[in-house]
Amino acid sequence: MEHLLATIGRNMFAIFGVLALCGAAFMVAAKSAVHSVLGFLFTMLCIAGCFLALEAEFLGMAQILVYAGGIVVLFLFVVMLVELSKYKEKAIFQLQTRSAVIAVLIGAVAFLVAFRDIFFGNASSEALVLRPELAKGLNVAAENAQAVSRGLFSDYLLPFEILSVILLVALVGAVVLAKTERV
Amino acid sequence: MPTMNLTQTLVMGLIQVVAVLILIFVMVPLLTFAERKVIGYIQVRLGATRTAGGLVGITGSLNRGMWAMGKVPVLSILRGLPVFIADILKLILKEDIIPAKAERSVFTLAPIISVMAAFGVFSAIAFSPGALFIFPKGFPIVGGLPFMGFISDVNVGVLYILGLSSVGVYGIVLGAWASNSKYPLLGGLRSAAQIVSYEVPLTLSLLTPVILAGSLNFRELSIRLTTGADMHWLAAFPLFVGFFIYTTCGFAETNRTPFDLPEAETELVAGFHTEYSGMKFGFFYLAEYTNMIVVSCFASAFFLGGYYLLPFGLQRFIPASVPFLGQPSILFFFLKVFAILFAFLWVRATLPRYRYDQLMDVGWKYLIPLTLVNLFAAAIIRFAF
Repeated sequence: MEHLLATIGRNMFAIFGVLALCGAAFMVAAKSAVHSVLGFLFTMLCIAGCFLALEAEFLGMAQILVYAGGIVVLFLFVVMLVELSKYKEKAIFQLQTRSAVIAVLIGAVAFLVAFRDIFFGNASSEALVLRPELAKGLNVAAENAQAVSRGLFSDYLLPFEILSVILLVALVGAVVLAKTERV
Repeated sequence: MPTMNLTQTLVMGLIQVVAVLILIFVMVPLLTFAERKVIGYIQVRLGATRTAGGLVGITGSLNRGMWAMGKVPVLSILRGLPVFIADILKLILKEDIIPAKAERSVFTLAPIISVMAAFGVFSAIAFSPGALFIFPKGFPIVGGLPFMGFISDVNVGVLYILGLSSVGVYGIVLGAWASNSKYPLLGGLRSAAQIVSYEVPLTLSLLTPVILAGSLNFRELSIRLTTGADMHWLAAFPLFVGFFIYTTCGFAETNRTPFDLPEAETELVAGFHTEYSGMKFGFFYLAEYTNMIVVSCFASAFFLGGYYLLPFGLQRFIPASVPFLGQPSILFFFLKVFAILFAFLWVRATLPRYRYDQLMDVGWKYLIPLTLVNLFAAAIIRFAF
């Protein structure tokens, strides 16, 4: 019993990863757009679970808060309003099957090549930190939020701010597009 | 705290989850009963304040005895109880109807998501900072271990609770969509827009205590806010403003009056749950009241002093050496929770519903700027004093 539980606990990342892939497959295969959104939601929650399995609590919660709680709700909102069944063009999702499969295969191979050390080497139990000196004096496993914020607001402040400007541009662009359509 | 092995941890977790579930299933019916009574007294509704059962059964015998003595039957606190019991029985026994044109799977899934999101939140809420009692040594598996006042001590508990409660909106939106009917769809869209809008000031107002205390752990945050040594007395002001902003947004998040537009009966029949009946409707009902309890727990822990008697930094006038009043206690926590729950009922009995554009105005034009100013003030107090 004890042994079985420990094994499950060690492989939590793999379990959540497989579940996330199942959710993603359901999202692609689902006939109804709302079902697709549900699959997407499930995938997002499972990815949050992956983060938690890696002891990245802050990232996991941010994943739920931002993706599951914010972005997917907006997707659902739009999908509900748009009557997709009107088009009856289910093929539109499947036109690109062949190229999509090729792209996924290439992506998977590239990913495996890039991360082969992590997959097949000896896994280290320490947190992966880009710049270890940033986390000095912090227990990264217990003080996730502090570790992330040190990186974001000290060393990577400029890229972070530029990202937010890009988002702002997208926002303004959306408003402009919506306005011109109405006039 | 003695270290636990994996089995013990799981069994302990299970015991605590069951305890919290019992707490919810006791509190929610009592809350609905209290709602009837409070609104009954405020609005002079006779059903909740006079009904005292028939002439048969337990209440019947009590009634006959009271009448024989020439008294009004049944203590005033128990009047209205028959209506409440009939209501619960109706919820459980009513036929579960799924409309023919509804999307069956999503229709069934929606109330489950609602309830799971509402209940899951409790795993990060700490009702008491320490152990409530210790299991006796002879107890199987968990003997000698303390029964803590919280299920798990999550480092980012505040984020966890916010994230999970934002998942709860799916229940409403999906239920509305799956009903395949006009009124639920309109109600669901209203609800999604309202909840997404009010989540912004809600989260921002919670940042005020987070900044002041410098922690995201539910228990630690609450304790630091009340008894933290570096807490300046000025910190009481942003907390005070934040409390009102948070409670207002909490009302909107839980779809309570004056923000209950998703279920405005004069316009939308019953909003997103129009097509639901039986226990599926009961689940939505349960989720709404559970969310009220969650909001109250939050307000109690972060703004009203949590486990200590006095909020807003006043606790420092009671030294920790005072036996009961100076110590943290689960009683103080629940005292505040009940006070806020009473405010929920009070507001429902007093205030009319907002118009939809007014609702959005309040959220975006007033609450968000106010919370930003408040947050700024809190940051200045934290770092300048």
